[in-house]
Amino acid sequence: MTRYTDTQLDALRELANIGSGTASTALSGMLGKSVDISVPNAFVLPMAEAVGSIGDAESEATGVVLGIVGEMPGSVLLLFTPKDAELMCGLLGVEAGSEYGISALMEIGNIVGASYINALGQMIGLELEPTPPAAATDMLGAIVQTVLAERAGAGDVALLLDSDLVVEGEDCSVSFLLVPDQGGVEQMLERLGV
Amino acid sequence: MAETMVRMGELAASAVAGDVLVSLGLGSCIGLALLDRRLGVAGLAHVVLPSSGGNAPKGTWKFADCAVPELVDRVVKLGARRPMLEAVLVGGASMFAVSKSSLEVGQRNEAAVRDLLREERINVIAKETGGSRGRTIRVYVGSNKVTVKEAGGSETPLVAGAARAFA
Repeated sequence: MTRYTDTQLDALRELANIGSGTASTALSGMLGKSVDISVPNAFVLPMAEAVGSIGDAESEATGVVLGIVGEMPGSVLLLFTPKDAELMCGLLGVEAGSEYGISALMEIGNIVGASYINALGQMIGLELEPTPPAAATDMLGAIVQTVLAERAGAGDVALLLDSDLVVEGEDCSVSFLLVPDQGGVEQMLERLGV
Repeated sequence: MAETMVRMGELAASAVAGDVLVSLGLGSCIGLALLDRRLGVAGLAHVVLPSSGGNAPKGTWKFADCAVPELVDRVVKLGARRPMLEAVLVGGASMFAVSKSSLEVGQRNEAAVRDLLREERINVIAKETGGSRGRTIRVYVGSNKVTVKEAGGSETPLVAGAARAFA
């Protein structure tokens, strides 16, 4: 099983931190509200344990996924609880669950995810391009497992860089996951020189 | 009654009546149940990807080509008879319909599992696969009931289950 040192995990966490900082600025611009970021978590887990670390597999969630193409393929997944989806849509003046609601969340995913991916690419000096977003509202487990299967499926472990964007004064947040392809982690660490 | 969670890339088998084997929230993954309904032996595998390409490390069951033969072995070791085995498939959805990058892992998973079952001469007696919804599978050992549940839905039987014909 692949292991990472504490220094390496710190470096990955820092990467996630800067990426989500840029993403929070983008979200803040969209909503016209301040957005705070949590301290990111870096999990390296056997795949079987990855879903459980994120939440209850059968709970409902809306996921917006963007692929990363280029020199370090992977996926960025934004997860909204039903409550967060509703509040977020409310801030944008559309009804959650409606067609407009879903496209509003996809647009949030698009802007926030793309700025995260661009920041990441600049930091590690790799050409990274986001693909258009896709969304699903379903069981959390089904959403997360599908992204993991596509990205980390062939490897032993999944690396999850997890941070929360919290909208100030609204008790509303988005959880943010970066799932690199197997080999992507090594590439990031090499670029960071740790 | 013990619920055994069968998570991504795991598998489990039991001959203990009352045991329940569960895979929660299957998306593109496949929950493959094998049953010997006469003897009340059952197994469940949570298949993640269709093929290992022949170089999976020992003891990994996330690939269909590793998981299917292993699950057959496990239920046979618990007394199931190979010619009596029947299969139930759940999952293999395309969660993100718009995403072109996903290469329809769900469909490829189902096709791979079906091919392998054919090689083992095991019939698929029930399935709830494809589409775009996540699903939970539960296998009730002993009563041979197999159920599926979608997000926001209720648990519905795929295989009704019954008292054992020959105990």
